[in-house]
Amino acid sequence: MASADGVFSPSGKLVQIEHALAAVSQGTTSLGIKASNGIVIATEKKTSSILIDDSMLDKVAVICPNIGIVYSGMGPDFRVLIAKARKSAQAYWKIYGEYPPTRVLTQEIATVMQQATQSGGVRPYGVSLLVAGWDINRGPTLYQVDPSGSFWAWKASAIGKNMINAKTFLEKRYSDDISLEDAIHTALLTLKEGFEGQMTEKTIEIGVITVPSIAELEEGKIGGETGRPKPTFRKLTEEEVKDYLAL
Amino acid sequence: MSIMEYNGGSVIAMVGKDCVAIASDLRLGNQALGISSNFQKIFPVTDRIYLGLPGLATDVTTLRERFRFRVNMYTIKEEREIEPETFAHLVSSTLYEHRFGPYFIEPVMAGLSKTPTGGVKPFIAATDLIGCLNFAKDFVVAGTASSKLYGVAEGLWEPDLEPEDLFETISQTLLNAVDRDAFSGWGCIVHVITKDKVVTRTLKGRMD
Amino acid sequence: MYQESKKRERTPGSWCGRGMVTVEARFSKGAKARSNGTGSEFPRMPAMISLAQPQQRQFNPYSENGGTILAVAGADFSVIAGDTRQSEGYSIQTRYAPKVFRLTDKAVLAVNGFAADGNMFVKKVRQRLEWYRHAHAKDMPLRAIARLIQTMLYARRFFPFYVYNILGGIEDDGTGAVYSFDPVGSYEREACRAAGAAQSLVQPFLDNQIYFKNQTPAPGTSHPVHLPLSTVLSLVIDSFTSATERHIEVGDGLEMYVVLAKGSTALQSIVSVRGIQEMTTTEDGERVFVIRRELKKD
Repeated sequence: MASADGVFSPSGKLVQIEHALAAVSQGTTSLGIKASNGIVIATEKKTSSILIDDSMLDKVAVICPNIGIVYSGMGPDFRVLIAKARKSAQAYWKIYGEYPPTRVLTQEIATVMQQATQSGGVRPYGVSLLVAGWDINRGPTLYQVDPSGSFWAWKASAIGKNMINAKTFLEKRYSDDISLEDAIHTALLTLKEGFEGQMTEKTIEIGVITVPSIAELEEGKIGGETGRPKPTFRKLTEEEVKDYLAL
Repeated sequence: MSIMEYNGGSVIAMVGKDCVAIASDLRLGNQALGISSNFQKIFPVTDRIYLGLPGLATDVTTLRERFRFRVNMYTIKEEREIEPETFAHLVSSTLYEHRFGPYFIEPVMAGLSKTPTGGVKPFIAATDLIGCLNFAKDFVVAGTASSKLYGVAEGLWEPDLEPEDLFETISQTLLNAVDRDAFSGWGCIVHVITKDKVVTRTLKGRMD
Repeated sequence: MYQESKKRERTPGSWCGRGMVTVEARFSKGAKARSNGTGSEFPRMPAMISLAQPQQRQFNPYSENGGTILAVAGADFSVIAGDTRQSEGYSIQTRYAPKVFRLTDKAVLAVNGFAADGNMFVKKVRQRLEWYRHAHAKDMPLRAIARLIQTMLYARRFFPFYVYNILGGIEDDGTGAVYSFDPVGSYEREACRAAGAAQSLVQPFLDNQIYFKNQTPAPGTSHPVHLPLSTVLSLVIDSFTSATERHIEVGDGLEMYVVLAKGSTALQSIVSVRGIQEMTTTEDGERVFVIRRELKKD
């Protein structure tokens, strides 16, 4: 019973979390870069068979109009987490009439992940997340959440199989005044390092946060006749990804 | 008899130029009997938001504590002060939670919200007892003297009043409205909220 | 207007609870009879059933037709105004039903409440004023009209005219006057009064703007006892536009009657008023004018 759920090992480690982290580091690489006018999150999309319709595979998920998430690790665990995150965002909207700030949503997800390290009969989530969002309070922010439930804000980070190399690469490439366009190219270059197989619009996914202009903000947060806020997070279409790859 | 008339009381809020005002009477009654002439029903929520709670006195106290709790939790969790628009939604959803056994309160709120350019924008709102929001651009009223308040405010209010003129307008509206209402009166209090300060004044009026 | 109220609620379809049971009992007998070879396709008609429950019907002779009236007295003039919408419940019956009536050259009566009673009351007052004219060869003084109205209202103490009256005009001493009444004849001379659907909206505004309630005059000055006619007219218009904005039963049109005392200086301030119409019938006495304005129709 040395590795029972939620039991410390004599060295003070929770082995289940260690195992979960191992699961993450087997997952495909994902990364995020914060630019001066936005954020890019990107990931490698690998399919085990050419017969799989990869257009159905979503690794970058929209949580609410101002927040998007990408993961490395176990797909099914991620699916459960985005369902919870989306619910949480809508619950927040029902109370406050606006979507949650990135930090609040990240904290909410982190709490869910932490509870899985302490509750009986469950295992930790086998994913690490990169949460990119924009809010009026903190502007664009990029968070990483780990299976333990701990989270940090990053200027740029990478998770998954190639995270060590990717992070080293990002450290060399990163500057504070990088533009979103440059950040997208840096993201592609980073992914290219250690990419297995051909990098195409079918095998990567990109999501971006664009910081709204003052004029857009003055228009008010309730956008147009739909009563929905103008989204600040969106996924790039295959065509857009293709254009970035061609450059 | 309406439940609003059990304790009586009225609140009004008005928009001015880069300022807002909120005012109420100070009466606490037990139907026709006057109990107190210093019953506060307007409470500060943040430095820039004031909330008026006319209605059943027991619910005034309960809701005030409830909102204090929820705003404190928000402030700690989000590490920021709540904005008036957000607070209005919080009020609305809190009241709607009790859709089929409501608090007998018709909240009125006034505040200044921050604009993206760093300025301030006047904000007022009111809801019914189950939280249906009314974002008015001119003035909102609630309580036992509401119809009188509507009549006088409609006649006296004008756009872009400076803080001093707004104070005069809201004070005259309230004083004359509550003088014609048996359930409101017994003193009045007015708060004028501007960018750098809140001016609170207690008014001398008829005490009958 | 005509309402029925029944002591006991019946569910639709069952004419009478007890009767129905009887019919069913008969039906089974009838079925038996048919099997006995009567050949009838229907059961026999049941015997006449009495409606055992007592029933009460009631006629409600009153209704409420909305609208608002208002009058203000000046030093030597009087303004009596009313909107022209007439409604019942949420329906507008007409957008032009006058509620303000010229009685004599020095008296104007505004009636508000149940329109049928109001119209009949004005008719009866006018009849009494004509009798007075025949008997005394002059118009009845305003204060006498006021007392007459009290008498007429109180005569119907136990089946009242469902009407709030406001009488405005010029007294014998040449001063502007307003008398307001309740439906059973309590009355009072005042400087201003609002009545009707939007009374609660208008009256506190008038308290403030006409009586200067809650206003302190600047040191060494005092509030005017009487306001000039032009000021009164704009206050009346403001009162009605405000009431129209916030009350569904007020709107469509506004009629303002102005009664001027003999030789009133207020004359020059209104001759140029847009669309003003003179209603005076005699020479060298008080003069009556009417000013009409549109109000919002929504």
